[in-house]
Amino acid sequence: MTKAKEEIVALRDVSRYFGGITALSGVDFTCHSASVHGILGENGAGKSTLIKILSGVLKPSAGEVLVEGRPVTYSSTAEAVRDGIVCVFQELSLIPDLSVADNIYIDTPPKRFGLIDRRAQRKQAAELLARLNASEVHPDTLIRDLSLSRRQIVEIAKALAKSPKLLILDEATSALTGKDVDTVYALLSDLRADGVASIFISHRMHEVDALCDRLSVFRNGQHIETFDKGERSDAEIVRLMIGREISAQYPPKPKRQPAPPALEVKNLRWENSLKGVNLKVEAGEIHGLGGLDGQGHKELLLAVFGALKGVEGEIKLHDKPFRPTSPAACKKAGLALIPEDRKTEGLMLNLSIRDNLLLPNYAAVSRGPIIDSRRADEAVRDGVTRLQIKAGDTANPVETLSGGNQQKVVIAKWMMLDPDIVLLNDPTRGIDVGTKQEIFRLMRDLASAGKTILFYSTDYAELIGCCDRVSILYDGGVVAVREGDALTEDAIVAASLNLHERGAA
Amino acid sequence: MNTQFSVSPENKPIFIALGFTLVIILIGTGYTLITQGAAPMLMPSYLAQQLQIGAFLGVCAAGMMMVILLGHIDLSIPWTLTAAAMMATTVGGPWAIPAGLAVGLIVGLFNGLGVSVLRIPSMIFTLGVDTALRGLMVAHTGGFAPQTEATPLMRFLAADRVLGIPVALFVWAGVSIAIAGLLSRTGFGKAVYATGAKESAAFLSGIRTKWVIVGAFMISSLCAATAGILLAGYSAKAYQGMGNPYLLPAIAAVVLGGTHILGGRGRYIGTLIGVILIVVLNSVLSIMQMPEAVRQIIYGTVIIGMLLVYGRETTSRN
Repeated sequence: MTKAKEEIVALRDVSRYFGGITALSGVDFTCHSASVHGILGENGAGKSTLIKILSGVLKPSAGEVLVEGRPVTYSSTAEAVRDGIVCVFQELSLIPDLSVADNIYIDTPPKRFGLIDRRAQRKQAAELLARLNASEVHPDTLIRDLSLSRRQIVEIAKALAKSPKLLILDEATSALTGKDVDTVYALLSDLRADGVASIFISHRMHEVDALCDRLSVFRNGQHIETFDKGERSDAEIVRLMIGREISAQYPPKPKRQPAPPALEVKNLRWENSLKGVNLKVEAGEIHGLGGLDGQGHKELLLAVFGALKGVEGEIKLHDKPFRPTSPAACKKAGLALIPEDRKTEGLMLNLSIRDNLLLPNYAAVSRGPIIDSRRADEAVRDGVTRLQIKAGDTANPVETLSGGNQQKVVIAKWMMLDPDIVLLNDPTRGIDVGTKQEIFRLMRDLASAGKTILFYSTDYAELIGCCDRVSILYDGGVVAVREGDALTEDAIVAASLNLHERGAA
Repeated sequence: MNTQFSVSPENKPIFIALGFTLVIILIGTGYTLITQGAAPMLMPSYLAQQLQIGAFLGVCAAGMMMVILLGHIDLSIPWTLTAAAMMATTVGGPWAIPAGLAVGLIVGLFNGLGVSVLRIPSMIFTLGVDTALRGLMVAHTGGFAPQTEATPLMRFLAADRVLGIPVALFVWAGVSIAIAGLLSRTGFGKAVYATGAKESAAFLSGIRTKWVIVGAFMISSLCAATAGILLAGYSAKAYQGMGNPYLLPAIAAVVLGGTHILGGRGRYIGTLIGVILIVVLNSVLSIMQMPEAVRQIIYGTVIIGMLLVYGRETTSRN
């Protein structure tokens, strides 16, 4: 590897304010060609603002941005793309009703006689997808028919189509499953060999470790430190990020006592996604769901929560048969679901924090049909304190909160109902370390209080760290249950690929 | 990510609508001062009379707001209103008003089930219901103006005055208090906002979104039926097409009052101001003795113009 790297972008004393809030203050930052530069920081540390400035979404309030030595002021992302700065955003920017190829070339379609050359577009899209090891995605597939992980791959393909000099990946791997993550690793190495710079933002430490040459830590809108990979230990990095020591990342697991099953699922079937799921979750247990993306986890949780129609099979709550006819009925039965996508399924983004918190709880804070505003205030206060939601005024829209605090609102609104069985669908996606720990601790506290937790995560380390037992799903069914010492990353990966049944295929 | 305004974005359109209303009143008053040397628009009796006519629109708009908050629309207002009026006068006697309201409840239930259970877009479904109702009423009346008359109670509610104030204004006020209270003080009202903001998230929060939609459509039709009963009382009888002039103004009043046309946002006070704005605009145009054609053009242009101002507000915020 040659050290003769040029500066691709540099920020000089850049600040950005939103109203009275400082998102970035006096940041100096440089990114070199042929490198993978990791940016670390908790939610609200200023990472998103930084990349929005780099990619032309926002203008700095003060300071200057240099691209290959020239000062620039972008007023749109299109101008940044022209200079080769391309960003894959955390929020998926694909149009669900257009095809994969249409989405990849949405702003620069290949043309012939002034019209879109569909054949060329399809061919180029297929080539890009093949480069991303996703050749099974047909360019004519509609985006809405793809899983979240595949969509994210398409999103990356869209960025690659613009032949970037600097590729920015903002939490781009958080929705990806194991295999796709490896593909992205390989891609970034290839790009580095071609002299392309990448900026990589992720909350998964091991990814950043594995991938990046240089790391920059941000905290509270300030650039704390930049160093080469290996110069600092993980513990030091975490301390730089949160500004304090953290103890254990996962709360200790108590010794498991045999308990009666709280939730039992027998031969659960739904369309092509669930093909006879059997599951027994005991009271006081954190039961993990593992496996590759798209093996039926999401459908299983939705089916148990009554959100799917035409589910066949048996569900028992505390040994009593239960038919989940609707989320409303499940809520009454003491179930709660923290959905996969907090922005479309968990929250009403433009409604206030207060309204979001109260939504499932109006029956509890009303006298007859009329809301008792004093009881409602109390409930909101309790919810905010219990999960330590950092919110100025609960009358503000929930979209003004950081990702971690938004997720806390989703969890808090269910905790106010004191549910007996909590279903969590990947609740830590795109969330900072501190909030993750709080969520893990809350899960353990609930379990210790005799509640039942069913927890799906795409991050195997979380499953191993948190769960008493883990069921691994493959192709719409549970293929293995692991606990205790048998609960290792190798065991989960092997079961996820269903290796022992299909041999070494 | 954060913008700070002294006026919250939710209330901004309400202030704009209020400003427009005042400007229109000033223009009208200036015009009459110059041409007639008098200011009839500022006389209480004139205002009361204008608001009495506005009450019919106000009641329609109150119901329309419920469905617009859900991101839906109710295009069956005109013939729901007419059908309720016709049924009320046909039945007559003490059962006239319950008969009219029952029409509203049935149509609303039908609309709501079509939209929430059959999942047909409300724009198509309610338009179809409107047309079917028109057919039913033509069959019922033979296509002529019904000969039946409004009952004395209907006439009292629509045309009489108590303490110098039109009774219709009390009805409008009653409907307003009910809707405003429903939206701000009940779980149902909050569920309407939540369902309009993000139906999937509301559903997964354990809200029975189907019944929220059905409920909102029933309230909308019930309001239209109430307006029909009032209007029949005001004109002493029901007539073909009596609901036609109320559809666009009702939608316009709701949207001008700051309710988001895609649902989830809006305050009832805004709808109230939107109705007053439209009533004032209409009366200024008639004071200026504009020919009907010009009135329609100005009326439409003003509505589009004001919506443009709002549109710019929202885009510049992002």
